[in-house]
Amino acid sequence: MALDAAAWDALLLSLRVASVAMFLSLPLALWIAWILARKEFRGKGLLSALVHLPLVLPPVVTGYLLLLAFGRNAPLGRLLESLGIGLAFHWTGAVLAAIIMGFPLMVRAMRLAIEAVDPKIEAAAATLGAPRVSVFARVTLPLILPGILAGAVMGFAKAMGEFGATITFVANIPGQTQTLPSAIWTALQVPGGENRALAMAALAGVVALVAVLVSEALARRVAKRISGAR
Amino acid sequence: MSRIAVLFSLICVLAAPLRAGAETPVTVFAAASLRGALEEIAAAFPAPLSLAYGGSGTMARQVAAGAPADVVVLASSDWMDWLEGQGRLNATPQVVARNRLVLIAPEGAAPISEDEISERLGDSGRLAMGQREAVPAGVYAQQWMQQAGLWDSLQVRLAETDNVRAALALVARGDAPLGVVYASDAQAEPEVRVVLEISDETHDPITYPAAALTPEGAALVDFLLTDEAQAILADHGFRKADHGS
Repeated sequence: MALDAAAWDALLLSLRVASVAMFLSLPLALWIAWILARKEFRGKGLLSALVHLPLVLPPVVTGYLLLLAFGRNAPLGRLLESLGIGLAFHWTGAVLAAIIMGFPLMVRAMRLAIEAVDPKIEAAAATLGAPRVSVFARVTLPLILPGILAGAVMGFAKAMGEFGATITFVANIPGQTQTLPSAIWTALQVPGGENRALAMAALAGVVALVAVLVSEALARRVAKRISGAR
Repeated sequence: MSRIAVLFSLICVLAAPLRAGAETPVTVFAAASLRGALEEIAAAFPAPLSLAYGGSGTMARQVAAGAPADVVVLASSDWMDWLEGQGRLNATPQVVARNRLVLIAPEGAAPISEDEISERLGDSGRLAMGQREAVPAGVYAQQWMQQAGLWDSLQVRLAETDNVRAALALVARGDAPLGVVYASDAQAEPEVRVVLEISDETHDPITYPAAALTPEGAALVDFLLTDEAQAILADHGFRKADHGS
């Protein structure tokens, strides 16, 4: 069997990094998507550009900027390290890289969903006496849930596949920061490592397929519930 | 009308060949650590050279997949053996340079012994080196640590990078207090200094084999072994091809 312990370690680390990154960025991504979809303010274009920057920058640049900002010699890195949150060369740094790389994709999906909601429906709920919190929770949220799910899956998928920023920021330490893409890359850098690389690539393919199937199923259920509720 | 003219000229510019030289250059795929030396050798070589750099594994796989290289120079004899097994080489590989492994620290640090490495790393410092399996310099570094009995304590304190120059940069910037790189890398970076010379006996010989893939490439491999090219390599901190033999 070409899948050794190191391959499973790498898979588990990738799953952990991707899940933590997805859950941590969900609320913030939703908030930013909301602001971009609904609010008008000075600097909105700038905020949108900043959010999208990691999508356009080469990942290795994002990783390098992270290293400059959160390295052991950077003020921010030193501050966090003194608080016990080491980022450079830790799996937590891989989470940060995954959050930043996946964030634009999450925000885009959510923003589109929010923009698609007809404000008249919310207004109607409000005129019927529903408080604002309840309008959001019972009208808006169910309507944009498919968009939130799609964004979350995009963020998760991006985190599972992230390589350039991760290897630049947290290096490639087996059992510590070696994610599945890093492990596949490593196998390809060893003469005769093709079989290991292919086995792990198949593993990555299975994970990606399962993630997409699960999200499709969830989206269908949500869509059914919304249309049923009407 | 004028918009179409602009568009047309733009397409012409984009479609023009990147290099308009009359002479076809000899294309070299080389290990990244050779960059400085090869650039100087290219200036001394009579024909124009086109130099592509990367990790030895990446270069070897690209050449095996049919990359248009005339010469390949790698930092690993394992990869050259692999490439030879793929049947892509036109001639037997020849060692054109050798290297040494050194322990480095940011400029201004004091020399240390092997026993003081853990102490120098402190509570949270990491030792930067090439990835232990993927990067030749990392493979040699692991062999040294195992031979010196340091591996068990150090393997959880590493920052393993995707190439040896990335490890060099981590030490130069102070993100890692120590690193293992080639002597030639240490010499190329003024922000670091060698704090410990690592014995050749502790790891496999570090050799740079070169091989021609085409008849045009054979002249360059021969040139790499001339006194002129060997002197340039020595200037850049490499050992000569015949060192120790």
